[in-house]
Amino acid sequence: MSLSSTPLTPEIVSHEGNSMVLSMGPQHPSTHGVLQIMLEIEGESVIKAEPEIGYLHTGIEKNMENLFWSHGQTNAERMDYLAPSSNALCYVLGVEQLLGITDRIPERAKHIRVLNVELTRIASHCVWLGTHGIDLGAISVFFYCFDLRENILDLQEAAGGARMHPNYLRVGGVNGDLPGGYLERVDALIAKFPGRLKELRGLLQANPIFQDRTIDVGILSVEEAVAWSVTGPALRGSGVAYDVRKAFPYSGYDQYEFNVPTRTEGDAYARFLVRLDEMEESIKIIAQAREKLRTPGPFAIDDPKIFPPPKETIALSMEALIHHFKIVSEGFRVPPGDVYQAVEGPRGELGYYLVSNGENRPYRVRTRPPSLYNLQALKGMAPGNLIADLVVMIGSLDPVFGEVDR
Amino acid sequence: MPSTQTPPIAGTAIDPPGVRRAIDDAVIEVVDPKALHARLEALRAEGYTMLLDLGAVDYLERVPRFEVVYHLLKMPVAAATLAQVGTPARLRVRCGLNEGEHLPTVSDLWKSADWAEREVFDLFGILFDGHPDLRRIQMPHDWEGHPLRKDYPLRGPARERSPRPAFGLKSNVQAGTPPTGRTLEALQEQIRTAQESADRPKAERKGFTGGEST
Repeated sequence: MSLSSTPLTPEIVSHEGNSMVLSMGPQHPSTHGVLQIMLEIEGESVIKAEPEIGYLHTGIEKNMENLFWSHGQTNAERMDYLAPSSNALCYVLGVEQLLGITDRIPERAKHIRVLNVELTRIASHCVWLGTHGIDLGAISVFFYCFDLRENILDLQEAAGGARMHPNYLRVGGVNGDLPGGYLERVDALIAKFPGRLKELRGLLQANPIFQDRTIDVGILSVEEAVAWSVTGPALRGSGVAYDVRKAFPYSGYDQYEFNVPTRTEGDAYARFLVRLDEMEESIKIIAQAREKLRTPGPFAIDDPKIFPPPKETIALSMEALIHHFKIVSEGFRVPPGDVYQAVEGPRGELGYYLVSNGENRPYRVRTRPPSLYNLQALKGMAPGNLIADLVVMIGSLDPVFGEVDR
Repeated sequence: MPSTQTPPIAGTAIDPPGVRRAIDDAVIEVVDPKALHARLEALRAEGYTMLLDLGAVDYLERVPRFEVVYHLLKMPVAAATLAQVGTPARLRVRCGLNEGEHLPTVSDLWKSADWAEREVFDLFGILFDGHPDLRRIQMPHDWEGHPLRKDYPLRGPARERSPRPAFGLKSNVQAGTPPTGRTLEALQEQIRTAQESADRPKAERKGFTGGEST
């Protein structure tokens, strides 16, 4: 491969005429991770911006090929670490399609999944809003956001056992039923949320400094957004009402009432408003899921070949012990085939292309990371703008580098 | 209830996507590498405005060995309402190619193909003719090999060749077979040296150059 020896970048800084090449990152506070941008600048304005990624490449896809199907969601959660359950849901739904058990997932499991995914969406948007505010000098927003996120992380910990990567969603259902008092804590969050969102809006939405920094900055036209395959809030901020939850309903989303907020301006402020509105819609979905979860029921599929039987039965039943042992020691086999499963993650369409050759390990797991494609649009957005506005653009695209680099 | 555990009749499949077409998550189309660009151009004109993803799979034992998969979405460009978006059609274009064969780039049709093709080149070594900037994207620029190929070892070629030191050491010493070349005596010697070094005052330690202490 002769091309593999092509040097990565020109010299770090070079002059030519009035323009100059400057490396921004990979260590830079406002790049939200290890992002390097090679900038060609003339004075303060950007002529060309070329993001360099890969500093966080950990080979998750390769790792997943070498682990059981039942281990996949643990790794998937590490990609977009701000919205772990979204990744897990997408992977789990894909495997269920390959197994052909999508119709046999209990309703309660579906609603628990929806509840979890919408909680992580709010938590993820909280991190985005907090860091976006810090980029623009609004420090206090960060604390309000992280306080709200902390409540959600506590809920994740209660359900799955871990704050950041709960590993709660499993193939066939969820790991266990919701613990006692969980739904009451969700109620408390639902009650707290409107006031907190009002405070967040009060801090930024009408703030003249924030508006000056974001309105008409980083404009992404509809055509550009579609050409760069931008999805999620960034696409809806440009006026396209594409939401996977509505276009291809999964996990019972067709039973929920919610709107898909869109804006037509396509600037950083529009994306900001879309995300705030989305948080409101998410809390509406959470309230509906909470109502649906009043009725008890099974939380996982009744198939001991796929989902291990309850731990209590192991001491009483030989079959349960064998099933448990088989699933832990060699996982389950998945019939051969390929499938593309997509969900609406906090950043856009999150997709998994799964290939099984009939073994107990995936043959190939290809992720469609929304952040990768959203970030790529920076190449089209940045030229002609100021370096200071570049920071706003990165913040408004909300990339997560665990997912961009994988 | 039939068990989902039943292994496939022919054991494991060498060509998994060819075995089963029952999952209707998308329309599937198989295209020859030579006809690929023209077909995708036609599809784009037909209304497949978005190239959602582009990825590759390495079917090591199959001919053709590689497969590049394009995920397309048929959506009107300025669909401002949910009704206008509706349920857009999904299309999966699969293109098989052998080792050494090239594919035409589609970054002239969809800008988003730029990084996706770079990633396929980086991790699988598939070349795209006409790509404006085909270089590694995830791995370091001087990396050798293409990690997502099936014949690429999980821990990388360099570490695969070297013995595993950390876990093997203790049990190997007990079994008396040190494949790492380290005997029990050598290990004890190392521990003794480390302990002596720790017992000595700081300034006497080997490699300590002195200077102000903080």
